Amino acid sequence: MSSILGRVVATERRPNTPHEFHFWTALDSPVGIGTIVRVDGRDAVNGTVPRVYGIVTEGFSWTDLASPLHDVMGFDGSPSAESLSQTDRAEIRLYTAAVLRHVPEEPLQPVPMGTVFLADELDVNIALRMDGYLKPGARTGIPIGVYRAGGTDAPIYLDADFLIGPEAAHLNISGVSGLATKTSAVEWLLQSIFTHFPAQKGSVAAVCFNVKGPDLCYLDQPGEIDDADRALYEKCAVAPVPFEDVQYFAPYKSDGVSLNTLRSNEALLDNVTALTWGLREVLQYAEVLLNKDDVDAKADALIDFIKENVLDKRFVDQMLERPHTVTSFADLDAWFKDVLRALEKKDDQSWRTHHVATIRKVRNRLSNISLRCKGLVADDGATSDLPFGSFQDRTVYVIDVAGLEEDAQDLIFARVVTKLREHLEKRDLGVQHVVVFVDELNKYAPGDGPETYVRKMLLDIAERGRYLGLVLFAAQQFRSQVHRRVVGNSGTALYGRMDGDELATPGYAVLSPAIKTKLATLEKGQLMVRHPHFTQPIFVRFPRPSVMRGRDGVSQYPAAQAPSLHAAVLRTLRTLDPSLTLGWLQDVTQLATDDEILRARNDVVRARPGDVRREFSKHFRAAVAPRTAVRPDAPSPLPAAPADDPYGF
Amino acid sequence: MRRQLAALLPDARPTSEGEGALELASSRVDAPRLISATVLEGSGPLRARRVFQAAVAGFRGFLDGTQRSLVAGYLAGGAPIVVGRAAAVIRERRNRRMHTWGAPLVEMRLYAPHGLATPTEWDALRQIAGHQLVDISAREGEIDGEHPLALRDAAFHRVQAHREALEQRLAERWCSTEHDRLFIDGGISGSDTVAVSSCTVGVVKSHRTLYAEGVALQTILGLGRSERSSVFEVTSPRRTTVASWYLRLRDPMGRDPMWGLVRVEIARPDPAERHAIGDRADEVSRWILAEASPLALPDARWDKMVYGIRDCEEFLRAVTQ
Ligand SMILES: Nc1ncnc2c1ncn2[C@@H]1O[C@H](COP(=O)(O)OP(=O)(O)O)[C@@H](O)[C@H]1O
Ligand SMILES: [Mg+2]
Repeated sequence: MSSILGRVVATERRPNTPHEFHFWTALDSPVGIGTIVRVDGRDAVNGTVPRVYGIVTEGFSWTDLASPLHDVMGFDGSPSAESLSQTDRAEIRLYTAAVLRHVPEEPLQPVPMGTVFLADELDVNIALRMDGYLKPGARTGIPIGVYRAGGTDAPIYLDADFLIGPEAAHLNISGVSGLATKTSAVEWLLQSIFTHFPAQKGSVAAVCFNVKGPDLCYLDQPGEIDDADRALYEKCAVAPVPFEDVQYFAPYKSDGVSLNTLRSNEALLDNVTALTWGLREVLQYAEVLLNKDDVDAKADALIDFIKENVLDKRFVDQMLERPHTVTSFADLDAWFKDVLRALEKKDDQSWRTHHVATIRKVRNRLSNISLRCKGLVADDGATSDLPFGSFQDRTVYVIDVAGLEEDAQDLIFARVVTKLREHLEKRDLGVQHVVVFVDELNKYAPGDGPETYVRKMLLDIAERGRYLGLVLFAAQQFRSQVHRRVVGNSGTALYGRMDGDELATPGYAVLSPAIKTKLATLEKGQLMVRHPHFTQPIFVRFPRPSVMRGRDGVSQYPAAQAPSLHAAVLRTLRTLDPSLTLGWLQDVTQLATDDEILRARNDVVRARPGDVRREFSKHFRAAVAPRTAVRPDAPSPLPAAPADDPYGF
Repeated sequence: MRRQLAALLPDARPTSEGEGALELASSRVDAPRLISATVLEGSGPLRARRVFQAAVAGFRGFLDGTQRSLVAGYLAGGAPIVVGRAAAVIRERRNRRMHTWGAPLVEMRLYAPHGLATPTEWDALRQIAGHQLVDISAREGEIDGEHPLALRDAAFHRVQAHREALEQRLAERWCSTEHDRLFIDGGISGSDTVAVSSCTVGVVKSHRTLYAEGVALQTILGLGRSERSSVFEVTSPRRTTVASWYLRLRDPMGRDPMWGLVRVEIARPDPAERHAIGDRADEVSRWILAEASPLALPDARWDKMVYGIRDCEEFLRAVTQ
């Protein structure tokens, strides 16, 4: 058993209560703010000697000096005169601790007088009620880090039932940029979840939005960690290796040629997939991008009309010059033009109850979207998406939206999360639980400002996600700037190094001044953890994530130069058929425009045909007979498809 | 104690809660006195001497005692029953911090006049206090001695004597086991062993009795900071003769003439050593001057009290309350 650290004291002015007590220690004791201690009571109650566990929240020290002036007089006003005094004044170290747990829990009494010990690993388990979810056979503990004090080194576990659901869910992390290690903490925790998520709870995957620079671009690459980190990994039984299964998604840049991501180095591209959506996908989420003033009832009605009657259908109207089949923004714009031209010709103010002004407005807004989301929205209606329906266990899906405009980010965000939700509701996503990681939450769910679709959606996940297995991990600098119900529904909260002004906001009033001081000076790799089982916040250390840091990745794998159109298309096609050559591509596309080439590429990527060469070539006029594509003597232009090619015809 | 008394002496009148401690009443202070003393140092009259060299740490132990007496009730005949507690401790300085040396002494006694108590009352008191019951009956012929206030004074003086005895007991223990110097609050002449020991230094803060007259007195009251008087001899019929001198710890400018003034007592030198008494007084004075910091504030006597003694008092307050 550890040696006695201190003794409980209580005075009339500073009494002990069931939730707080005081103790004094020797001047050289290893106690600090955040230290977990155990009190062994002096007298038995109902035949058992009570034990109380607490965490130090405040410390005091004073001497027998009644007034500072007395000390000044003692030194004759000269601070350097210290060596004259032969005796150090009597001095006390007094600590206040908040109660974590009473054993037994009943009757709940003020903390008794008794001796105070440093908590060892077993004590920590009991104090934080972790014993309840670390039982062999029914373990649901997910290590979040290691508690360290004195000689104690105890892993701290979160309860998966309260982190991923269904009892509670979600995690929120706050702290100043660059020092709070927020992004790193989430990366580490995902590694820990993937390692320790209990088998009986099923499968889990993560969808991460990379919103800033190269932050999450190298999750599958090894990172630099030191021996101290390795010790923490070992203590938490997590292997210090990068994520094994990571899939990247990024829209094209506005040129439609290269992907809009910093993970564009040739060596890393094989698990990067283009994210392109067609008109249908976008129109469904039009309200994400149209703010309230835009979408009045009339505009809404028109958009609904288009969704129901125009999109993907053959649309015929005598008034129009020609029939329309709208599958892309380009088609839609042609349709709008036709409608407006017809109205002008007839000098009419409305068409099918829609006023010309409404039609103009909606056309404007929608074409704006296609402009602002260029690269994401394929003009030709082609779609390349996350593998909804075949999500894999313990896989991270990273969607790189860092280089996109806000509108495009919102659109991606809204659609991906809504799709995840729909699939989880139908239980056909491919996994049973998905952790969605959103950085800069204050941007997406601000506490003030207008109601947006994205914020409503985040609120909805925060409030209902836990029943579905849809879990939000969110990070932001200032928690006070995030919508209350989003952070309020977060079962687990982490805090890294905090800003003083933020700590002065009312949300932190429950913390003692000493805890606030500690938060304002936390080192990198230290976090304060709030979790439903812990009655008080706990301080832990966690290791650097064993993945490559963004800025290391950028220097080790510099982003590729913007490739030529041909090079970019070839690279994409080669993922389907590695035997393709640049010579072949140039031959096939000799007479084609850039748009035609991109359209062909998108079609092929979507269809994934067995014979890439033939499928691709079909898009181009064979003005000059390709040397290799079709044998001159082939009688039929449509040769039989390979038996295993479902798309062949 | 009060409760025990009430239970055993239903007829006794209890005191109301919070009746003042006898130490706070002022009727017992001695009358101021001037006594001329024989100068031991040099051949002339008593002089002021500057302690030139720097103060230097010389003490390892500090000894002080406390006492507290309360009227706990009255006998049926009106005589007071006094509870007196005496305590003493030596605090030892190790590595600039204070620690308790050995065990502190804390003792409680009950004081009442046997002659004014009924046999039942006396038996009851005996039951409570056993051997710690002390008779304070007036001596034969002392009529005033039955005055309740005289009885209280008598009790008070017994408690004081008890405290002095405890202090002496501790000091004697120190002298028999330690060789390092012990700073004693008060005089050392009460115990033979202590008074002749080379490791004890007594420092007296109260000057109801001043050992000088005339010019010598003016010299003493005119001492400046870090000045001492010549060494003189203090003799008293029932006490051991010791060597003594006055020492000014703090600058008295603008204060009363006894501000920061203490009287030091050490063992009287052998005649063979007498020539060196001045050097010895200088050395001991430097030790005492070294204890002037840290200040013993907020104690009101901080001008004369050293921190080690305040520490003893704080310690005793903690263990006796
Ligand atoms: N456990 C850790 N121990 C020490 N340093 C760390 C740890 N985790 C991350 N860091 C370092 O802290 C810095 C900031 O981390 P980051 O996660 O980007 O912070 P934030 O997301 O809060 O801006 C990085 O340079 C990273 O290497
Ligand atoms: Mg970050």
